[in-house]
Amino acid sequence: MKRILLLSLFGFFACLQTWAQSKTYSGKVTASDDGSSLPGVTVQVKGTAKGTQTNGDGSYSIETNAGQTLVFSFVGFTQKEVKLGANTTVNVSLGVDDNVLSEVVVVGYGTQNRKDVTSAVSTIKGDAIKSIPAQSFDQLMSGKAAGVNINIPNGVLNNPPVIRVRGFNSITSSSYPLIVVDGVIVFSQDAGAVGPAGIAANPLSDINPNDIETIDILKDAAATAIYGSRAANGVLVITTKKGKAGKATITYDGWTGWTQAFRKFDLLNAEEYVMMKNEAEQNRASLAGQNFTPLFVKNLDPNGVPYDTDWYGEVFQTGFQHNHNINVSGATPKSSYYFSAGYTNQEGFLKKNTFERKNTRLNISHNVTDNVIVGANVTYSSSDAFAPNSGSLAGTNFSTGGLGRIPLVSAPNVPVRLPDGSYNINSTGGLANSLGNLGNLDRSGFYNPAVMLDLDKATAASERFLANIYATINFTKDLSFRTDYGIDNLTVDSRTFLNPLHGDGFAARGIAANYLLKNRRWTWQNYLNYNHTFADKHSVGATIGTEQQYTNRNMWSASRQTVTDPFFNIYEGNYTVNNNPPFNFLTENGFQSYFGRVTYDFAKRYFFTATLRRDGLSALAEGKKFGNFYGISAGWNLSEEKFFKDALQDKISTLKLRTSYGKVGNAGISDFAALSLYDFGNYGGNVATLFFSQAGNPDLRWETSTKFDAGLNFGLFSDKVTGELTFYRNVIDGLILNSPLSPSMGVPGNSVAKNVGSMFNQGLEFAINATIIRTSDFKWNTSFNIATQKNEVTALAEGNADIFGVTQLETANITRVGQSLGSIWAVPTAGVNPENGRRIFINSKGEQVQYSHAVPTGQSRWTYLDGRTAPAISAAADSRIIGNTIPKFYGGWDNNFSYKKFDVALSLIYAGGFYVYNGTRAGLHDQRFWNNAADILNRWTPETRSTEWPRVVYGDNVSNGSSFPISENAERGDFIKCRNVSLGYNLTSEYLKRLKITNARLYTQISNAFMITNYSGTDPEVSSNGNSNLAPGVDRNSVPQARTYSVGLSISF
Amino acid sequence: MRNKFSKLILGAALTLSVFSCKDDLLSPVPKTSISDLSAYDTPDRIESLVNALYDAVKAGNFLGGRYLIYNDIRGEEFINQTNNGVTGLQTWNFTLNASSNEVNNLWRDAYYAINSSNLFLDKIDAAPAKIAPEKVTNYKAEARFLRALTYFSLVNIYAQPFTKDNGASLGVPLRLKGENGAGNSNNLKRSTVAEVYTQILEDLNFAEANLPATNSGDLNITRAHKNTAIALKVRVYLAMARYADVQREAEKLVPAVAPFKAPTGVRHELNANYAAIFTSYRTLESIFSLPMATNDPPGTQNQLAFYYLAGPVGGGEFSLNMTGNGILANRAFETTDDRRRLAVAAGTRTYLNKFTTPAPFTDWVPILRYSEVLLSLAEAKARQASGVDASAVALLNAVRTRSKGTAVAPTTKEELITAILTERRIEFLGEGLRSLDITRLGQPFPAKGVVNAINPTQSEYIWPIPTTELAVNKDCEPNP
Repeated sequence: MKRILLLSLFGFFACLQTWAQSKTYSGKVTASDDGSSLPGVTVQVKGTAKGTQTNGDGSYSIETNAGQTLVFSFVGFTQKEVKLGANTTVNVSLGVDDNVLSEVVVVGYGTQNRKDVTSAVSTIKGDAIKSIPAQSFDQLMSGKAAGVNINIPNGVLNNPPVIRVRGFNSITSSSYPLIVVDGVIVFSQDAGAVGPAGIAANPLSDINPNDIETIDILKDAAATAIYGSRAANGVLVITTKKGKAGKATITYDGWTGWTQAFRKFDLLNAEEYVMMKNEAEQNRASLAGQNFTPLFVKNLDPNGVPYDTDWYGEVFQTGFQHNHNINVSGATPKSSYYFSAGYTNQEGFLKKNTFERKNTRLNISHNVTDNVIVGANVTYSSSDAFAPNSGSLAGTNFSTGGLGRIPLVSAPNVPVRLPDGSYNINSTGGLANSLGNLGNLDRSGFYNPAVMLDLDKATAASERFLANIYATINFTKDLSFRTDYGIDNLTVDSRTFLNPLHGDGFAARGIAANYLLKNRRWTWQNYLNYNHTFADKHSVGATIGTEQQYTNRNMWSASRQTVTDPFFNIYEGNYTVNNNPPFNFLTENGFQSYFGRVTYDFAKRYFFTATLRRDGLSALAEGKKFGNFYGISAGWNLSEEKFFKDALQDKISTLKLRTSYGKVGNAGISDFAALSLYDFGNYGGNVATLFFSQAGNPDLRWETSTKFDAGLNFGLFSDKVTGELTFYRNVIDGLILNSPLSPSMGVPGNSVAKNVGSMFNQGLEFAINATIIRTSDFKWNTSFNIATQKNEVTALAEGNADIFGVTQLETANITRVGQSLGSIWAVPTAGVNPENGRRIFINSKGEQVQYSHAVPTGQSRWTYLDGRTAPAISAAADSRIIGNTIPKFYGGWDNNFSYKKFDVALSLIYAGGFYVYNGTRAGLHDQRFWNNAADILNRWTPETRSTEWPRVVYGDNVSNGSSFPISENAERGDFIKCRNVSLGYNLTSEYLKRLKITNARLYTQISNAFMITNYSGTDPEVSSNGNSNLAPGVDRNSVPQARTYSVGLSISF
Repeated sequence: MRNKFSKLILGAALTLSVFSCKDDLLSPVPKTSISDLSAYDTPDRIESLVNALYDAVKAGNFLGGRYLIYNDIRGEEFINQTNNGVTGLQTWNFTLNASSNEVNNLWRDAYYAINSSNLFLDKIDAAPAKIAPEKVTNYKAEARFLRALTYFSLVNIYAQPFTKDNGASLGVPLRLKGENGAGNSNNLKRSTVAEVYTQILEDLNFAEANLPATNSGDLNITRAHKNTAIALKVRVYLAMARYADVQREAEKLVPAVAPFKAPTGVRHELNANYAAIFTSYRTLESIFSLPMATNDPPGTQNQLAFYYLAGPVGGGEFSLNMTGNGILANRAFETTDDRRRLAVAAGTRTYLNKFTTPAPFTDWVPILRYSEVLLSLAEAKARQASGVDASAVALLNAVRTRSKGTAVAPTTKEELITAILTERRIEFLGEGLRSLDITRLGQPFPAKGVVNAINPTQSEYIWPIPTTELAVNKDCEPNP
């Protein structure tokens, strides 16, 4: 009778008459494991709506008559029924419920008992992700749910993680799931830019992880179809905490942490650098038939000691972080409330990188009458971020001032500051605006990072108001109506300043820009819910409703340059030149939707669900705006069958088979994609221009995803072990592709959006959760999940033209029919020719071609191994697919131990069967003035002929992959990582209880504690291109991940 | 009580849903762009469309900056200082490949300019706007002038010089119809160099016949007129080594004897102050320049001044080659010459101070100057004459003495030709003509600094066809 729990959560209290001759029954409810009293337990007279709750000391009293049955239910405990007799004192002890199957899951415009769910839904509980250092909850979801892959791109604060539910489900549109908070579709990263490039911002960071009760992840068509055109990438349904019955609880959670870069490169020191670069120049001169002059020298400080700068030390730090949350919650039979306030202040390991958030939340609901409930979930959040140019966000990977790259390229034989304390920079002449070169004859690096860190600014202040207000009317016990109006306003005020002294603001002599972005959205839902059980066996549910959503996004910006005085470092200061606004836009879209769902089950044994949604979207052309989406599913609860119970019940307590099929869509279409557009500009400053800016496609349709799913859920040994196994296959059709056009056609963007592609994802998901040991002192719970995925592109634009994935200045990914999306595309190499130390490339004919960066006049740099001139290797003609970037399998493994008052949690994640294009490695072995990784010491020399690194030739940017990607730099990315490990101690004691402290826990934890991998870069999870579908798995000049140590305290009153 | 609340909520929900079900929820109209269907609706919009054709060739990756820079730094006059792969390093040291950004970006932006002209030529006749037929013809002539200029620029960097084999080599794909993204015309073979030249000349002849004789004010420099088309023809014929045609066209702009001043249309002549041509922008010497402004700058890392000026004003990307082959080391470049004053020392290096406006670097970009017409005419005459052509010497000295160079008196035809070619290097330093002068004569690119010479037989002599084109246009052959 879990349905009663379901009903009570719904708040469906029908008003029924009471019987005569009633008595008052009373008693106390305690927990079976430690005997503690349980406040807030629902006590219900079975078959009626009559009920009450236990008070603060766990006692209750209720008026009813003998012969009735009382049902005691409480979240996290097994439900208990007691048939009433003459004794009016009924004390009950409830057992802890390990059975996840008894939970309620949010399925979109309603909830279902997990036992009744026949679709693929994973749930992450809020407790699993709270109090771990992070900026947003999505960063904490790694490995927690089968089929949900979370990649943290790097350690830049608030850099949005890459979230993929059952893999990549689109090519040009987004593969990012839909995010629903308390029933409202909210802005997520998908909403587009949240500010100027280079400032990491994640709209999900406005939601305090501590406020989250559950995250339900809808994966298959049956689960997601209710979200129709936006469901192809899965849906994350976030439910925030509500007050629980009982007296008010006050909870404080806080932690303090220290963060550092996790895994750095071993680089050449000053002495090695000078030796290596001069050797390279000597080789170059001799190969070109020129005279050799050493380019680099030992630079000495005033004490005669050679400079040997650790550039990492100039850019990275140990960042300090602290976080505090307090909430007050409770509920009376008529109302429930949850108030919370949070504050977090985090420094990154990248100097100057900070993130500070203040947020408040109020969730309240009240039974206005016995059949009308009104409520609201309101949150306001404001955050301030400071983001130096990390060069680690999509599109900034090759930025000259990128702090991920500067420590790798800067010469160690020059100092940060000169003996007089001034910055070591060049301000005039040929090497103006570069790191000071002292005695070096070539430049020593790009910029001096100290100046930029000291003087540049890049801030983003965001304010988020996210609220919904709702009313539910219960017409009868079975039929209810709900209206829900939601507002999501996200305003981001970004400000940047580049100093005039050095760096990107040098030429402009100081440049400031302010950006104001306003995202505004309202959503309004109206729907009817009906639930009824006929003849005790036929349970029917139906939902029918409408939804409208309007989104308006507007950014305006302004920029000025050339400061009149170095004193100014804000836009509002004084400048001599007004620039064009760097980034203005005003765009809007609207959805008009109709949806319905029917569920039926027979005796909790056979289940059927059908869902339909019709969505209209403004971005599509007239006549093509609407699309229909659906999902159907069926389930068979085998373990409820008598024959099964008779035979297997002791071993297999639960077994359910389920399958689903349906078609959903992807609405990641730009707002006016159907239109061909002309934009205005100016020619020479004062006359208007009107130019072709977008080739639209009036025939654009919805991109659809047909999803098939079959699986089983099981519980063994009284559900001490539960799990699920699922097979899925998603076929995506009518993929909207920026179908490439020959650049010589001269169409803007060299592409036009068309519904031309198709692809599929399929795989198996397996999750198991087991209580391995449970004694009064020692508990061990483990949960493990694994998902496999196979992605294959089956059709692309006309002629199946390949699509290339660009990493700002380099192309290392290809999307080709018959292959996995965004595979690595590089020129194959075959090591180093031991004869002469030249890199050997393999051209499209399979011939070995070697390269020498320096040759005498008239000779070719490219030769066959016998010395004949060979055609130059070209990335276009000679590249091949090297491997897939999408992991073949991934998952997580969590273990929770507790011994008496100690608890330990160990959270591992892993992924395997994929390649990463380690572009950073190309830079680390580039033979220009750049510093190199220490392994270059093993380069080819006449004495050491068998080696992986070619003979160094000054200026050579070809041999090691800077000029175009080479297979040498494609590496397997398989890893196992300890995402988090924690140790806690429960301080709860009689003494504390006397101080009204019901619960207190002290804990310490380490995130990214260790990693096992053969990957030579900082981290195989790195995604230099962020959420890109076409260029995943590229590691280019990105800062590493963060390792954070923290200690925390949690107290409840 | 119970019913009152229910009715209130239901009533409000139903009422609001009726009102909020606004028709425009699904049909918002863009507020910052206009539909292609209304781009030709008014005379003002058509004027703006024409301006946009100029703005397209003015792209920073193309004639607004980088095209000129690439053509200079391939030559021997500049030494790379910054080793920055983004600012022309691979162009300078001849290590470009088909996927290099300069190769792909220039192609993309040049063809965008071509398509803009093609679309305009396709659509202007059916434009709903009321404009006089002669105005329409003028506009078409401008579009064809710009298309010719763009094809000429493309064919001279992505293909073998016409003079190598009379244009028999592969040129570039010749796109002459507007493309709006619909249909499938990805595949198009490269026309031969000769075919591309034929189209260029056809466009220029049409432009000469149909452009206005003069515009007004700045438009005499920033928009094409008859003399603009003629001046470009002079350059095109010179690249084809059709010297009689060079002479015929140039003589439309140059009288037989001094003072040299265009007899018709805009009365072009040399400006007495050489440096002022590049600082005032509006002298009669400038036949065609691309204007810049703080609200229409060339864009980051595309600006002439950024490349050639030393820090702190410029980026100091390329210094002048003061030794060996460099023109600054050539005795013909006299110390008294005004033009030499534009070579300014900064530390141990010397930089070109021709383009001097600081960030956002709004110097107008010179495309065609009267002195080029004079020197091209001089060269054509010198090459056609059997001995030393006196009028060629006069033209040469007109340019030379204008900036206080000493008049020369060559004694042989060869000496005269060499003097003219040297004069071109001095006169047009930093204006993007050096590569053309090397390739049209089939000369090797001379060695400079650490870079060795490149012979005409080497693949590096011309640019590769970009990978982005080869990947989609299956009929397009790469350069060997």
